Amino acid sequence: MTIDTAASMWGEFSAMHAWAIATAAVVAAGCALVGTLLVVRRMSLLGDAISHAVLPGIAVAVLAGGRPGGLLVLVGAVAAAVVTVLLVQVLRREGGLAADAGTGVVFTTLFALGVVIITAAASRIDLDPGCILYGILELVPFDTVRVAGVEMPRAFLTGAGVLAVVAVGLAVTWKEQLFTAFDSDAARAVGLPVAAVTGGLLAATALVTVASFEAVGAILVVAMLVVPAATAELLVRRLHVMALVAMLLGVVAAVLGYLAAWRFDTSAAGMIAVVLGLEYVVAAIVAPEDGVVARVAARLALGWRVTCEDTLALLWRADEAAAGVAPQPFRSPGEWAAGLWLAASGRIAREAGRWGLTAIGRAEAETVVRSHRLWEAWLGRHADLPLDHLHPPAEWIEHHLGADLRRRIEADVGAEESDPHGRSIPREP
Amino acid sequence: MNSLAAIPYNTLVVAAAVAVVGFASGVVGCFGVLRRRALAGDAAAHATLAGVVAAFVVTGRRDLPTLLVGAFVAAMASLGCLVVIRRFTRTRDDAATALVLSVSFGIGIVLLSGLSARGISGAGGLEQFLLGHTAALTATDAITLAVVSAAVVLVVWAGLKEATLVSFDPAFAAATGWPVAVIDYALVALVAAMVVVGLPAAGAVLVTALVVIPPVAARQWTDRVPTMLILAGVIGLVAAVGGVAASAAVPRLATGPTIVLVAAGLFAVSFFCAPERGWFARRRGV
Amino acid sequence: MPDSGTSACPAVEFHDVTVAYGRRPVLWNIDLVINAPGLFGILGPNGAGKSTLLKAALGLVPLVGGRVTLFGRPLAEVRSRIGYVPQRETVDWDFPVNVMDVVLMGTYARLGWWRRPGAAERDRARAALERVGLVDLAGRQIGRLSGGQQQRVFLARALAQDAELYFLDEPLAGVDVRSQERIFRVLDDLRREGRLVVVVHHDLRTAADWFDGAALVDMRLVAAGPTAAVLTPENLRRTYAGHIDVLDELGRAVERGGRTA
Repeated sequence: MTIDTAASMWGEFSAMHAWAIATAAVVAAGCALVGTLLVVRRMSLLGDAISHAVLPGIAVAVLAGGRPGGLLVLVGAVAAAVVTVLLVQVLRREGGLAADAGTGVVFTTLFALGVVIITAAASRIDLDPGCILYGILELVPFDTVRVAGVEMPRAFLTGAGVLAVVAVGLAVTWKEQLFTAFDSDAARAVGLPVAAVTGGLLAATALVTVASFEAVGAILVVAMLVVPAATAELLVRRLHVMALVAMLLGVVAAVLGYLAAWRFDTSAAGMIAVVLGLEYVVAAIVAPEDGVVARVAARLALGWRVTCEDTLALLWRADEAAAGVAPQPFRSPGEWAAGLWLAASGRIAREAGRWGLTAIGRAEAETVVRSHRLWEAWLGRHADLPLDHLHPPAEWIEHHLGADLRRRIEADVGAEESDPHGRSIPREP
Repeated sequence: MNSLAAIPYNTLVVAAAVAVVGFASGVVGCFGVLRRRALAGDAAAHATLAGVVAAFVVTGRRDLPTLLVGAFVAAMASLGCLVVIRRFTRTRDDAATALVLSVSFGIGIVLLSGLSARGISGAGGLEQFLLGHTAALTATDAITLAVVSAAVVLVVWAGLKEATLVSFDPAFAAATGWPVAVIDYALVALVAAMVVVGLPAAGAVLVTALVVIPPVAARQWTDRVPTMLILAGVIGLVAAVGGVAASAAVPRLATGPTIVLVAAGLFAVSFFCAPERGWFARRRGV
Repeated sequence: MPDSGTSACPAVEFHDVTVAYGRRPVLWNIDLVINAPGLFGILGPNGAGKSTLLKAALGLVPLVGGRVTLFGRPLAEVRSRIGYVPQRETVDWDFPVNVMDVVLMGTYARLGWWRRPGAAERDRARAALERVGLVDLAGRQIGRLSGGQQQRVFLARALAQDAELYFLDEPLAGVDVRSQERIFRVLDDLRREGRLVVVVHHDLRTAADWFDGAALVDMRLVAAGPTAAVLTPENLRRTYAGHIDVLDELGRAVERGGRTA
């Protein structure tokens, strides 16, 4: 049965679509979960390698009589993953190959081997090289088994089963996985079986890869492994939340990708990968703290705060020097805007034709000037800087000193009343 | 000489071109391997599929130069994405590579599958770019590939000292006034070019093996960069020609996998038999 | 090239230099003048920014404030007069080059684009190797050298640059005593030839013996001047007793764009 015939058979949404989506979702969740650990442990390329290298394992298993998605195939996949990892290590130890080079050699070779086996034994293996590369999610609902009276796709069953096994396995060993991920040396020193933990992770990778093969094929598995986790990493910091967010992102991409593929009449696996990519882009833009939008906003906010504080400090210094401030001290649009805001928020007020500080404004201004002069005192004490070089750093740092640090600096510089220029340091308001 | 005359002219030309492509890939791949960035080319390679299909969709033409220009644009765009990700996000390099690799391939599959679902004529041949297929190459196309490859080798040879310096000690290079970023970028662009040129022979999925395996194999035999380049070129050449010849023996077999297996065989020989670094040599306590 | 014995002239000047990694400042407002000729040490605790200061002078890290002038000019104009010996860890010693290849790299800048090193360059390289006592090992792959020998290769490469001003980043770290003395003697010869050698150094004990002048750096400049005047107990206490927690917190606040606690 070809894709064209199948597609022409249904033009409307049906339970078949639902099963296909369910399969994709289940497989995506499993990959995202495993992928979170791979990404955090900087093993993304090893995940890429394993997803390619399981092919000969699958091919040999099918040749030996295993059914696609059956136990023999799963075992073959895990065996291939083990072989991959061992080979990379042997190449490093015995051949002096760097990790990336060794990985490149091993996974291309094993993948090529797999394709050759499948092509040469084409009469006995029903696996098409195209399918290997990008799966046939659309045909998955047609190969069903009967479970508890319900006809469900075999691929869904495999996917759900693998998800359950992997989820339970990782949940049970989560603390060990977490520790090893963040500091494998310390974990080893404490006695954790790091090799076993890593081995378990790689076996899980092999399992989810094989479970995903029919749905999305070897290369797009990599998308489901790495991209949701990378996206989640941009959004949250705690590992277990990251894993859950990644799984959610994977499921959403599976659903949206499949629907988009149906709507635009193209490959579901490819669409899922594209949706995953879009999720990443969106996250990179809108992520709180790290996203592009957040960073630009933070920079603008800082600039605004600096302008406001500089204006307050300017007025305060003018008062101190008993020199008048020009009736219109605002020159640039930014300073104008700051002035309007300060007036509106009750920090400055206009009296007798000039701007002056209100009580609130005075307190804030003193904070800034205090920070400035304390920093000059600290630099004068702890750094070898000539007197006329103290002002510029203080102009910058005065906006970043907080109350607690100010008190500590004050204690350090001996509660001197004046800065190196002899000007008095205002008290903490 | 008589048997040679019996081989069709086209096949000879294609074989010669594949040899040059294999040589150039091995040479160019050396610097990626030496700088421990062997798999950067893989992201570019997977992106080429989208470029090939997009070129066909945009221009309506299926001639090789058009498709390969599209592939090159896509390759450079994917490498550009890697730079953007590194610059603007916290995502680490290995995850970024895997991400760009798989998503760009997904885009390619969406385009390819979309075309074939709409029954657009001429789209079928594009699938051959996945795993390689030299049988359809014309002599003109083959010569184009060979010329580009030869140009790449010449550039590498001319700038050998600059490339070696920047690969070995970029801090010293920068301190002594070399434009490290520019040279770096040029090396990356050369790898992208060879990845694209290698597409007809090895396909998008496996072409990265042509720039990774020969240099790694060559390194086992020598401790000098010029020698390593030449050896890698020769190994790449043998792998490319051998692979194409082997795949001709089995009709359904794509050329990519056979090229990789020949290269892997040569690597295995190098791994075991090289003097000093080889496995046997070390066992003997040399 | 200034003769030895003439009055010192400022060769390296840091004007209010601030360096940040990402958005976080790691060197704060450094004002420092180093005169030629001489052997000058940059000292301070680990992670205090000594290497960063060197890299700032060489244009290897961007400045977020201030500027550096060498011989009174910006770096770009005087690169050919500057030699550099980076830290040993920065390089992959498995790289397939031998000793001669590496030393020849010191001649590349003068060769310019595309040209290959010729007999003249090889002679310069060989002379440099003789000065550090490695001419017999010219054909050896660099991974097969001891730590001290590797360091001397880097030094020979810098000598092949025939510069007036040398920057060395921890040239004696992890090097056996004999190699240390050998290296120091080369640096001393350079000083006597009228050049300026600026060395980031990790060992305070030998610093007093070897350097005419020194700067104590701990994220900011604590003190600079003749070595004996700099390495006083008071200065050392100010450096090593660690007041940089203040700078550390501030650095993080600046990176965030907010205030400290």
